Amino acid sequence: MMHSSRLTRRSVIKGGLGLALATTALTTLGLPMPARAAGKKVIIGAFADGGLTPFKQKIIPQAKEAGFDIEFLEDEYGVTLEKWFADAQSGAGQYDLYLLDDPWVPQFGAANVLEDLGAGGIDGSDKDWIGSMIDMGYWPPQKGPRVKGFESAKPTLICVPFVGDLQTLTYRNDVFTGGAPKTWDEVIAKGKEGVAAGKIKYPVVFRGVSGNPIVTSWYPIFLSFGGSFFDDKWNPIFNSAEGKASADFFVGTMKQNAPSGVVEFDSDQEGAAILGGDAGAIIQYSGNALKADDPAQTKVAGKLDFGVVPKQQSAIAQMGIFIAGVPKSAPNKANAIEFLRWYVSAETQAKLAEAGSIPVKRTAFGVAKPGNRLIPVALQQLDAGALPRPRTPDWAKVEELLGIELNKALQAGSGGGAALDNAAKQVKDYLTTAGYY
Amino acid sequence: MRGATQARKYRLQGAGLDLALPYLMLAPGLMIVLGVLVYPLWDGLRATTRAYRYGSPISDVGLQNYVRLWSDAQFLNSLWVTVKFVALSVSIEAVLGFALALFCLREFQGIRLLRTVLIIPMVVTPVVVAIVFRLIYASDAGMLTALSEAMGGGAVQILGNPVNAFIGLVVLDVWEWTPLMFLILLAGLQSLPHEPFEAARVDGAGAWRVFADLTFPMMRPVLAVAIVLRTIDAFGTFDQVFVLTRGGPGEATRLVSIYGYDTAFKFQQTGYAAALFVTIGLVVLALAFSAIRLLRRVDAS
Repeated sequence: MMHSSRLTRRSVIKGGLGLALATTALTTLGLPMPARAAGKKVIIGAFADGGLTPFKQKIIPQAKEAGFDIEFLEDEYGVTLEKWFADAQSGAGQYDLYLLDDPWVPQFGAANVLEDLGAGGIDGSDKDWIGSMIDMGYWPPQKGPRVKGFESAKPTLICVPFVGDLQTLTYRNDVFTGGAPKTWDEVIAKGKEGVAAGKIKYPVVFRGVSGNPIVTSWYPIFLSFGGSFFDDKWNPIFNSAEGKASADFFVGTMKQNAPSGVVEFDSDQEGAAILGGDAGAIIQYSGNALKADDPAQTKVAGKLDFGVVPKQQSAIAQMGIFIAGVPKSAPNKANAIEFLRWYVSAETQAKLAEAGSIPVKRTAFGVAKPGNRLIPVALQQLDAGALPRPRTPDWAKVEELLGIELNKALQAGSGGGAALDNAAKQVKDYLTTAGYY
Repeated sequence: MRGATQARKYRLQGAGLDLALPYLMLAPGLMIVLGVLVYPLWDGLRATTRAYRYGSPISDVGLQNYVRLWSDAQFLNSLWVTVKFVALSVSIEAVLGFALALFCLREFQGIRLLRTVLIIPMVVTPVVVAIVFRLIYASDAGMLTALSEAMGGGAVQILGNPVNAFIGLVVLDVWEWTPLMFLILLAGLQSLPHEPFEAARVDGAGAWRVFADLTFPMMRPVLAVAIVLRTIDAFGTFDQVFVLTRGGPGEATRLVSIYGYDTAFKFQQTGYAAALFVTIGLVVLALAFSAIRLLRRVDAS
C-alpha cells in the first residue's frame, strides 16, 4: 500500500528549517578545528621574488623559535599592489604585514592606511640604518619634493626596510677577465670579444617589457649618464640631454648587443640568460644573483662575479628594497609590530646577512661570514651611489607612460630621445590633471 | 464556543501566512539580487560622477569623467585595439565554427569522438591557455623558435613585435573560442527540418545551391545569436592578454579591459575607470541591440 503525502505549507517550512539546520551543522562540523596557536600569529604578504628566499628558508624558522607563528602568503608581483591596496583601504584585514616594493610606499602613505611604526617603538633615527633605506619608510618624505596636500605634514615612519635590495652588476669573469667592467663602453667592447670567442651569445641582456620592467632596466643607465627625473616642482626633466643620451644608448647600442627578442624579456628571461651562460653581463636585483653559485640553478657556476654598476658620469644604481608596512586593519597588529622590532634588531640583521640576504642595517654588512658574495658588493654599491625612484603616489602611472614610450623606441631600435620627449609631455599632462602644479 | 474561537484564530493565522509566504520565500533571493547586483550597479554609476585621489572620493565632477574619455589618447587607442580584436576574432571564429559544424553534421565512424575533441579548447581555463601560448610564442625558448632553429632559421618574434603580437592574440582567441561557435551552430544545424533539403536534392540542387539557398538563410538567426554572444564575451577578454602580453609591446594588444583594470586598481582612478567600463558596457549593449534589430529586419524582408 502506498502512502500519499501532500505538500503542505507546514511541511515546506519544516523541511526548509530542517535543511537549513542540517546544512549549518554539516558546515560547522566539516570545518577543520583551528590549530592550536604555535606563537604570536603574523600573516605576511609578499610578492614572489628570489630576494626573499633566505628570509623564507632561514629567518622564518628562527622567528618561530622566537615565538612568532608566521603565515607567509605569496603572490605574483603584477597583482600584489592592487590586491594589498584594496585590502588596506577596505579594511578587510587579510594581512598583518605587507612586504612592499619601495615605490609603493607613497601610495599607501597618501591613503593613510598604514600604522605609525615609530609610535610602535621602532626607532627610525637609529644611526645603524642605511640612511637612504630608512628614508624610504617615511611619508611624506623627509627630503625632496612633496606632493600637494602633504607640504607641511610631519613625516611619519609607516614602513621599515626589510631586505636592502638594490641593483648591482653580475658579469662573467671569463669574459671580463680584468674584473668588473668600469664603464658601459667596456661592457659592450669586452662583451663583443666574449661573443667572438664563443664564450657567450650576447654582451648584455636586460628587461624590455613595457612599464616597470623596461624602466627598471633603463634607470641605472639614466642615473649613470647623469640624468634627473623631476625638478623640485614635479616638472619632468628626464628628457634632458643626459637623459636622451642614456635612452639612445639603451634602445640603440644595448639592443644591438642583446638577444633579438629583448623587447619581450622580463626578469625570468633575463635571469635565464645570465644563469644559462648566454649573457656577458646584466644589471639585476638580488633574486637571481643569489643563485649564481648554485650548480643546480646555473650552468656557469664559478664564472659569475658581482660588481658595482658601470659608470658613464657616475656609477649609480636603482634601489628597490623590500619594505614592510603594517595595515591599520591588521588582525594581529601588535604581533606584527613586535615581529618587526625583532626583525630589525642587530642580532636578527646579522643572522639575515649570514643567511645570504642583504641587510638593512650597516653593522650587519660586517658579519664575519656573510651568506652570499653579493652582500659586500651591495655595500660598495650603496657607497658608490644608489637612488630610489621619485617619491610620488603616482609613480605607477608615470612608470607606465614612460615604459610604453621606451618600449616603442626599443622595438624600433632608435629614437630614445624622442621617446623621452613624448613621455615627458604625457607625464606633465597627467600630473597637471592630478593637480600637481 | 472556546473551540470555535480557537479554530477561527488558526484559520486567520493560516490565511495571513498564506498571503505572506510567497513574499517570505522570495525575500532571500530578492535581498541577494539587491545586494550583489542592484547596489553595486548603483554604487558603480555613482562612482562615475566622482573624482578620486589616493583611492578615496574627493569631489563630485558630474559627467566630466565621461567627457574626459574622448580626449584620452590611451583610452581611444585601447578602444580601437579592442574593436579590431573583436571584429577579427569573432569573424574568423564564425567562419571556422560554421565550416566545422557543417563537416561534423555528417555521420561517420568516429564523429562523436571528433565532436568531443573539438570542444576541448573551450573548457580549458583561459589563463592556462595563455600560459601555454606564451610557451609557444616566447622568442628565447618558445616552441616556434625551437622549430625554426631546427629548420635552420632564427628566433621567431611574436610577442616583441606589435603586429605579430596582435595576430598571436587573435590566434589564441580563435583556438579557444571557435569550439563555442561550432557547438552553437552544430546544434542549430541539427534542429533544421529535413524536408526542404530532401526536396532540394530531389530537384537536383548542388551542395553550394543547398547551402546558399537553404542552410545559410535558415541558420541566420542562430548565427546572429552566436555572433552577438561571442562579441559581448570578446569585448570582455582580459585574462589571456593579462598573462600573454599585458597589453604590449607598446600598446599593441592593450584592450579596454586591461586599460580599465590598470586605471582602476593600479593607478587608483576609480571614478574614471568606472566611467570607462560603463561606456564600454553601453557600447556593447548598443552593438547587441543593433545586431538583433538588423536580424529582425533581414528576417522580415
